[in-house]
Amino acid sequence: MTYPLERIRNFCIVAHVDHGKSTLADRMLQLTGLVDPRKMRDQYLDRMDIERERGITIKAQTVRMPYEPDTGPWAGEGEFLLNLIDTPGHVDFSYEVSRALNACEGALLLVDAAQGIEAQTIANLYLALDAGLEIVPVLNKIDLPAARPDQVAREVCSVIGGDPDDVLRISAKTGEGVQAVLDRLVGLVPHPVGDDEAPLQALIFDSVYDPYLGVLVYFRVKHGRLRKGDKIRLMATGFESEVDELMVVSPEPVAVDALGPGEVGYLSASIKEVSQAKVGDTVTLADKKRRAEHALPGYREPLAMVYSGLYPIDSDDFPLLRDALDKLRLNDASFTYEPETSAALGFGFRCGFLGLLHLEIVQERLDREFNIPLVTTAPSVRYRIKLEPEAISVEEPQEIEVSNPQDLPLPNKIASIWEPTVKAMILTPNEYVGAVMQLCEGRRGALLAMDYLTEQRVELRYKLPLGEIITDFFDQLKSRTRGYASLDYERDDYQESDLVKVDVLLNAEPVDAFSAIVHRDSAYEYGKAIVAKLKELIPRQMFDVPVQAAIGSRVIARETIKAKRKDVLAKCYGGDVSRKRKLLEKQKEGKKKMKSVGSVDVPPEAFVAALKVGSGGREISGS
Amino acid sequence: MLTAADQGWLSDPVESGSAAGFGVYLHVPFCAHRCGYCDFATSDRHAGLIPRYVTALRTDIQRTVAGGPAAATGWPQVTSIFVGGGTPTLLDAGDLAGIVALVGSSLPLADDAEITVECNPESLRPGLFEALVDAGVNRISLGVQSFAGHVLSFLERQHTPDKPAETVAAARQAGIAQVSLDLIFGTPGETATDWHEALVRALELQPDHLSAYALTVHDNTRLGRQVAAGERPAPDDDVQRDRWDTAREVLGAAGFDHYEVSNWARTPSRRSRHNVLYWRHGDYLGLGVGAHGHLRGRRWWRTRSIEGYVDAVEAGRSLIAGSEQVTIDEQAEERLLLGLRLREGLHPRDVPPLTDEVVQDAADAGLLQLSCGRFQTTEQGWFLLDETVNRLT
Repeated sequence: MTYPLERIRNFCIVAHVDHGKSTLADRMLQLTGLVDPRKMRDQYLDRMDIERERGITIKAQTVRMPYEPDTGPWAGEGEFLLNLIDTPGHVDFSYEVSRALNACEGALLLVDAAQGIEAQTIANLYLALDAGLEIVPVLNKIDLPAARPDQVAREVCSVIGGDPDDVLRISAKTGEGVQAVLDRLVGLVPHPVGDDEAPLQALIFDSVYDPYLGVLVYFRVKHGRLRKGDKIRLMATGFESEVDELMVVSPEPVAVDALGPGEVGYLSASIKEVSQAKVGDTVTLADKKRRAEHALPGYREPLAMVYSGLYPIDSDDFPLLRDALDKLRLNDASFTYEPETSAALGFGFRCGFLGLLHLEIVQERLDREFNIPLVTTAPSVRYRIKLEPEAISVEEPQEIEVSNPQDLPLPNKIASIWEPTVKAMILTPNEYVGAVMQLCEGRRGALLAMDYLTEQRVELRYKLPLGEIITDFFDQLKSRTRGYASLDYERDDYQESDLVKVDVLLNAEPVDAFSAIVHRDSAYEYGKAIVAKLKELIPRQMFDVPVQAAIGSRVIARETIKAKRKDVLAKCYGGDVSRKRKLLEKQKEGKKKMKSVGSVDVPPEAFVAALKVGSGGREISGS
Repeated sequence: MLTAADQGWLSDPVESGSAAGFGVYLHVPFCAHRCGYCDFATSDRHAGLIPRYVTALRTDIQRTVAGGPAAATGWPQVTSIFVGGGTPTLLDAGDLAGIVALVGSSLPLADDAEITVECNPESLRPGLFEALVDAGVNRISLGVQSFAGHVLSFLERQHTPDKPAETVAAARQAGIAQVSLDLIFGTPGETATDWHEALVRALELQPDHLSAYALTVHDNTRLGRQVAAGERPAPDDDVQRDRWDTAREVLGAAGFDHYEVSNWARTPSRRSRHNVLYWRHGDYLGLGVGAHGHLRGRRWWRTRSIEGYVDAVEAGRSLIAGSEQVTIDEQAEERLLLGLRLREGLHPRDVPPLTDEVVQDAADAGLLQLSCGRFQTTEQGWFLLDETVNRLT
């Protein structure tokens, strides 16, 4: 069935993690009769196990829902087509979010009536406003005893304007008010506009690798018409191929012959890897006469923010790891990797990620889908090093970029070190403003602005070094505000800073994988904290192991892991024998997971120990 | 001074496997109080089931002898019987003696069989040991644990420090030939002096045998949960090593033979014959709640639930809650991890195939030695046994 433009509404949901987006989507699927209640499962639209387990959306998803409004200006006017484009909700994926928003005309702003609006939501909301979307505010979870809808409605209106009484109040869990949301969407969200006769321009808002079909490209047609069998061209990559399948999701895939302006669907076209069909790219026709002249605006290459070294624990696994990264890259165009060597860890890869969540997801997928035991080094950012002209030869570049602390040149060759910064937005209840400011200042933050959204809720804007927030900043923020503060940030410029490399020596041998670049003022504290942490994480060996932190040749902190003196079961009688045998077998497995550095067995967790040690050397409590 | 018996079964030849003898273990799961550190199949809430349990255990003995794994080919001669718990002496003396006697009359029993009953000092009562001696019991293993009141109280033991002497005297008086004492060291709060004094006071009782165990915190126990929650301190490995060294020193000076990681004998013939059977990978039956049996690489066990066990016996259902066939390789691994617990070590033919490289590595690390053609741990490697075995396998 085809729908005229006037009968189509494309919308997304802007919400914070846990504010009920997936539940609301589930409810909409039921209400529009698309999913039989008996076949319903939670988070119907989330495809990956990781998404369901963590309750987050990583990949965008779309579903089309035919719907006849009951109330509002279009009541009794027959059927409309609602396209929901479900977007990722995490700061790491804000570029992906912005592309998905550009595929819509409206955004449903979903806010937890108990928790209030969060920084991430506001950041995404600004993206939606920038994209010119009509905002439909909705308060969810009004069934909760802690809900305070009047206050939160005022909060929402202080950001987007409007009358608090107009804000819809629903419970996605019970289904209360969900129908009114659909009616409001039909009534408020403008229908798409587009020229059916113009050359094809379709915006790619996600691409997903499928092992059987190749890459599935999710798009929204802006102008023109795409038909099955068309030869297409992806404008940024220049990739050309023939459309094998043209599908819509409803919510199971349904084949269609053509999609016109305003319509949303996906195609397969023998595309081998997602880097050939990047988010934000424009689909047009390959035929030079029918090709669009310009790509849709807003495309950019994914930008890695955080870097980490991945090393196989067993060096024989290196080719396996390379294959796994190649395969992962097929469906994740936004992470990068290049081989590197560590004296301590052997051959591995330096990988770039959009952020820490992205790093964790890649790590988890490597473990889950490829089962290669890995060591991950502490995350780092990319520094710019200006070199001392007198210390280098004329052929050498004046400036280099370093994402691995071990690549930092010797101090006498460095003229200055520049580090990336971010502009961070933090929303917090006003009673925690002091705690948040203390945290940000401890991380070398510079306050840019402070605004009261309501009497209770404050928006703080800081400029912060990226390297200071990629480890435990978010955890600290949460623990200092009892979970109430939220954070969003965007990349800013580079600033010159007084940074030094702190090395760690294990049993008098420097271990390059433990090196970190930190600010000179916190180097001493950091050194103390990292050696204490390593002492705790590295099991006692057969001999005393000194652990030292050093700047250059100057040792700034030292601990000793004492030799172990007891490792035996006190009692071993009849019932204990097979248990003991199995226990020893398990220990052997555990030992296989240890990385032998010099003559010391180091558990993989130790390599991310710096994650648990703030860059200022603050020891992080809890787990 | 070695007696004729010292030259007997224990000394030569030192055999692993079935040649090591054949034992019977009987479990009595009842306690007046279940101590926080205990991870055995015991309960202090099922005293009402005692009469049914006694009957069930007797039935278990008879059913196993009639239909057990060696019933058809004939049972080997029983070289040891061990009644453990729990607190076997919570049972009526006549019932306990009757159970031991039933084993003796149902299976072929060696003339010099070692028959041990575990006792707690607080369960001393007139006539108890006499009844046991009449049933053939010739050894008791007494749960002394400590002579320091605050250590006993940390461990939740129910007796006072002077009770063990009284119990040992009563046992000897009744004609119990051998007395073994159990001690626990490394309990949080125990001082070096407490431990030294425990050893001295234990020696004053002139035991034939001593077991000294490092207090172990098991996750699934009350103590384990308290330690995990930070409510009680965990034992310290270094302190436990110091205590073990003290035990070696004090007991060694008193002429005791340190023959297993946690066990000392006044003379070689006073080693625990039943327990040596375990460490030499011998065969044994396990009867009663939670008991494990082993026969030539086949292992099986009873349920740990007292009700479940009694019900199964009464209903005539199978008593085997689980079993496993230990592969040839795993058997060799077990012989290694058990055999190295013994000072005597084990013959290279009884261990898994070890490369020269791993043997050399363990020797270089000061953990293993080849002595009189046998693999043995070094003094150092003994208390680091897991490390030693891990390096070898």
